[in-house]
Amino acid sequence: MLHADRAVAVSGPAEDAGWDAVRIADDDDVAVALRDLMGTVRVRCGDRIGQVKLPQPIPFGHKFALADLPAGHEVKKYGAPIGRLTSPVRRGEHVHVHNLKSRRAGPAG
Amino acid sequence: MAERTFLGFPRAGGRAGTRNHLLVLGINGLVAAPAGQIAAALPGCRLVATPYGRGQFGADKELHFRQLVGLGANPNNGAVLIVGADRKSSDAVAAEIARRSPAPVEAVTLDDTHEDAFELVARAVRMGVRLTREVSRARREPVPVAQLYLGLECGHSDASSGLAANPLAGALADRLVDAGGTAVVGETLEWLGAEHALHSRGAHAGVGDRIVSAVVARERAVTAAGVDLLGDNPGQENIRGGLSTIEEKSLGAIAKAGRHPVQDVLGFAEPPSAGGLHLMDGPSYSPESMAGFVASGTQMILFTTGPGNSYCSLIAPTIKISAHPAACARLEGQLDFDASAVLEARMSLDAAADALFASLIDFASGALTWGEAAGQGSECFTRIGPSL
Repeated sequence: MLHADRAVAVSGPAEDAGWDAVRIADDDDVAVALRDLMGTVRVRCGDRIGQVKLPQPIPFGHKFALADLPAGHEVKKYGAPIGRLTSPVRRGEHVHVHNLKSRRAGPAG
Repeated sequence: MAERTFLGFPRAGGRAGTRNHLLVLGINGLVAAPAGQIAAALPGCRLVATPYGRGQFGADKELHFRQLVGLGANPNNGAVLIVGADRKSSDAVAAEIARRSPAPVEAVTLDDTHEDAFELVARAVRMGVRLTREVSRARREPVPVAQLYLGLECGHSDASSGLAANPLAGALADRLVDAGGTAVVGETLEWLGAEHALHSRGAHAGVGDRIVSAVVARERAVTAAGVDLLGDNPGQENIRGGLSTIEEKSLGAIAKAGRHPVQDVLGFAEPPSAGGLHLMDGPSYSPESMAGFVASGTQMILFTTGPGNSYCSLIAPTIKISAHPAACARLEGQLDFDASAVLEARMSLDAAADALFASLIDFASGALTWGEAAGQGSECFTRIGPSL
């Protein structure tokens, strides 16, 4: 799940190859923006390209949800947990430090 | 295929140097200023001068000694001129460097000059000029790439690091290990959240457990201190770049370790006893982490970044790489390798790794990195305990 070739297989130029964001592993809850994004965007998930409508702009490198996710949900990226949601997130919404908290090494455990 | 080589400075009994520095090594803060004056009088030398050296005890004292010796014994030094306060500690450092490196080692101390600092500088410059000429007699020769020991570091990471620059670094590490070389990844805290993937990568019994133990110890230290990692690791640059948690950053960071089995978990600044991929249990702050690599013997460092990060080692040429398209454009000339084509799928990871490997050989053979040409190098000492 952490291997180099996967990273390449799923990354691509927005204009040329036809996708704007990428889901790195099959069971990821989020996609990563490959450029500054807004509106309806194309997301590469494995061999498929899906569409997601973004209610807000997503900067290059930032993440958005690929499904409606409840508060407390353990978010996956690279096929592994990267933290827990502190509030519900709708499909297309920005997932970042305002609603995603580490489960490790924090004062609250 | 013919064995791949680089043009290096052979060192009897060890890895070849990719550079041939005269290192002026100040081993005590009391002589840091004269060490600076000595280095200023010796064109082309490298200066590393610790601000510490007294009042340390236990593991902290031992680690300081190991860093001094390791930086001195790095194969990129063709000669070492120690500047010390007292003869006894200077001789101890000199003897240990000489045990690990064939390079000539000389020492001057305030003891020898009865605390006369002018005389200290005069004697050291005389000695340094002689060593500079001696070092200049060495010539580069073809050396197997198996002699390369590469440190893999990341700083100011963003999402492009985990998607492209770090996987590319990992592919380079894989190629180097395939060729018989050695590589090291450090920054223990940035294994946190990825330690289970690393656990299964141990080449020998116990290695996986040592990886997890190292992470647990760092995590406990953070928890015990009652600090929130957010804002420190991930830092502000990481957060701006889209990384939200330490787990997310780690999962991108460990791609630098490629796919090969982990031979061992090295202590900080500890030299590896065999080739292959290694982890080093050390701090995540790049200046400290990289000095640990250099003290363990790395002759080259590959440094991945997202938005840019200008920090370089003084002793080991530091190859800067980013896959962030805007950063590569904005910092053109300040990065040694543009990996944005990988992120944008204009180039396959394999093709980019081949090109990066060729770059590594070129830099190892004497081509200057941006940091070398721009005079950006430094080395940093790590403390792990209070002073007496």
